[in-house]
Amino acid sequence: MTNKILAAALASLLGASAAFAHHSAVMFDDQKEITVTGAVKEFQYTNPHSWLLVDVTNEDGTITTWGFEAEGPSTLTRAGIRRSDFSPGTKVTITGNPMRDGRPAALWVRAVREDGKEFNPGEGFVIR
Amino acid sequence: MQSLNLKARVAAALACAAAATACAALAVAQPAGRVVEPTPEKQRMIDLGVEHGTAWDLYQHLKEQAGGGETLSWERIPDWTGVWTREASPFFWDPDQTEGTLPTAKLTPEYERRLLEKLERVEQGIEYDPLSACNPAGMPRWLVEPFLKEFIVTPEQTWLINEMMNEVRRIYTDGRGHPSPEDAYPLWDGDSIGFWDGDRLVIHTSQMREGQYQRIQPDYSEQVEVVEVWYKTADDTMVADVWVYDPPALVEPWYTRQVYKKLSNEDKSLRIRYWHCNENQNNVVIQTEEGTSDFADFTFTDADDRPAEAGNEGAAQ
Repeated sequence: MTNKILAAALASLLGASAAFAHHSAVMFDDQKEITVTGAVKEFQYTNPHSWLLVDVTNEDGTITTWGFEAEGPSTLTRAGIRRSDFSPGTKVTITGNPMRDGRPAALWVRAVREDGKEFNPGEGFVIR
Repeated sequence: MQSLNLKARVAAALACAAAATACAALAVAQPAGRVVEPTPEKQRMIDLGVEHGTAWDLYQHLKEQAGGGETLSWERIPDWTGVWTREASPFFWDPDQTEGTLPTAKLTPEYERRLLEKLERVEQGIEYDPLSACNPAGMPRWLVEPFLKEFIVTPEQTWLINEMMNEVRRIYTDGRGHPSPEDAYPLWDGDSIGFWDGDRLVIHTSQMREGQYQRIQPDYSEQVEVVEVWYKTADDTMVADVWVYDPPALVEPWYTRQVYKKLSNEDKSLRIRYWHCNENQNNVVIQTEEGTSDFADFTFTDADDRPAEAGNEGAAQ
């Protein structure tokens, strides 16, 4: 029993760490997902991480810019995600693990463009 | 309950360190994840490391076995071209480590304690990686970093390149030795010399800085030394047999077999480009007072809550 509990603890540790090479993912809540719909403001296609910035209109009519973090350009290339896929103004519905502190940022899990095409940065680690 | 169990392990490790004795408690408290027993082949490689007291002794043994080694000519260069990446999880040094188990290293009590304390902090959500400050991974961590790798072979040097932080390991195969002790100082990727045994590259690396094998892996000391044997087992598969010697941290050499896969790149779109770690303010990660990681200020939140503009309709769910 003790061993099973410790195994579970170690598994949870691995889950908490299994995200980024440049930094820990502890600032994101991997048990939650948030989905927003908006228009791409900018796709920062940079190392060590890329950021897809999406302008989202709130219920009160104001706009919040959300940032979704993914890996850098080579991993996104392996995932079939090009900078030109998200030119400014592109309509997108995007899901991620949100920041624990409430800031409008998240770890990019998947995005669906208005034309229905889906983009999953995690596929950039698939060996093929 | 999970925390208490890890704390118990940490407490046991601390008690052992204080008593300066071998600690049975650590041995019996191995977690219940499926521990992969070494195959006969792996055990043979483990034994080979143990039979030699130092990395240098093992390197010299391999050199004797290779008849002194050889220098390549331009007419006989193995084909190591392509873009490669490590096959296993980047967070496990030993590809044979499975979820729910501890790293396979046989650690000294001091480094076992350090590992368990680190795992305890991570479990509490306290985790910071020096890479966040844009430090290179350095050797031996270099071996298990994800992203793209390239291997450039010439008769007198082989360059082992990792995309992240533009880390290039130069392996000198022209017969030179390491710098003299008077000229030696700790280096991020150490100083590497090697020889060829047929199509196998044998490397000895010393002069490394202290560091960690990975975030949830043990630490290594400045005394760490590494022997590697690199060779292809298929057109798309590169293997590195790795023995790490580190007397302050390891009670015996840590042998692992690292595997790298050649990525399909028919359209040649995968290219290693310059990696600038500080090019985007949104990637600045700081260490908090509690010792964990957090983003600094984002640039994109400056203009939040501004009036809506036409065409930006959307909603958070």
